[in-house]
Amino acid sequence: MLKNTINGLDKILHDDIPKGSVILVTGGEGTLKSGLVFSMMANYISSNDEHGLYVTLEQNIGSHLRNMNSLGIREEGGLHIFDYRDMRLEWMDSELDLIKTTEEVIDSYKEKYDNLTLFALDSLNALYSISDHENMRTKIYNFFSHLRDEELTSFLIMESAQSRISGQFSSFHHVEHFLADGTIELGMIEGSGGVKRYIQILKMRATKHAMEKHQIIIGDNGLNILGPIY
Amino acid sequence: MKTSIQDIADISEFQEDNCKKFIDRIIKTNREVFMMSSLIEKQMCGYDLIKEIFSKCDVFLSQGTVYPVLYTLEGEGLLHAEYSKGDMRSKNYSLTLKGRKIAEKDIDDFSRALEQVSLLLKR
Repeated sequence: MLKNTINGLDKILHDDIPKGSVILVTGGEGTLKSGLVFSMMANYISSNDEHGLYVTLEQNIGSHLRNMNSLGIREEGGLHIFDYRDMRLEWMDSELDLIKTTEEVIDSYKEKYDNLTLFALDSLNALYSISDHENMRTKIYNFFSHLRDEELTSFLIMESAQSRISGQFSSFHHVEHFLADGTIELGMIEGSGGVKRYIQILKMRATKHAMEKHQIIIGDNGLNILGPIY
Repeated sequence: MKTSIQDIADISEFQEDNCKKFIDRIIKTNREVFMMSSLIEKQMCGYDLIKEIFSKCDVFLSQGTVYPVLYTLEGEGLLHAEYSKGDMRSKNYSLTLKGRKIAEKDIDDFSRALEQVSLLLKR
């Protein structure tokens, strides 16, 4: 179960995330978005005979794994990582339809591994920035539909700028929030005890969950979720 | 009813299109065999591989279907990948010894399977 993949995650997720859900993981830079998603996937794969696909548009495989190792997160054989580095160096962006290509990448891995059940995209912002914006709403809708048709529990990472004053996030596109089955927000709060990282579940369809912001820390063995932050 | 020259031309064009459709489907479904077959001759990057198969077979294998196969075959130890000297933009793939053996066997098995399917259809 995904809710048991990170120490303390069951404090905020009372039921498991329904299979085939599309979850947005949002937050500013340095809030552990990639670490949270990769950690959940790696720990789930290590105890289940299933496969996962982590697609990174921002980093190559080597640098992504170095970052994960620095957080105490281990690589798992069944968790496949696909980066766009080679493709983007060999082809011009105008020759690549990255939304369609990502769907084909998913289909290729699904063809190879019948029990591919988890998918992550790091990040939606990068996908948007190198995609043709014409009919973007339709493209996003079709992309989400594709993930659901493939019955993949999917995590779509989306960096959002956080206002230092209000703590409010600004979103790049709003359509993904309506389409997603769940939204997990990660952020930082500055208080008397210094800066703390938090995790908050804003929405999770068909799942009981806490609403409070909980502290998230990097421990010796990866990520840990502690109690409510206030 | 007489068959006009135009009808014959249309039928011939339809047959050619239909044949092309089947070839297209066979190559796309079995792209791993065609990719390894191309790599038997020389080392290539993903871009060159796509161009090579297009020029040989007139079938465009999209990037999203080729690169995952290259990564997976590399992960399974069937392909070796290295960047060209002085050019970090293209990663060239070549078959490893194990990869070459598997490629040769797959090409042989695939060719025999096609022959058998052909015989089955003509019965």
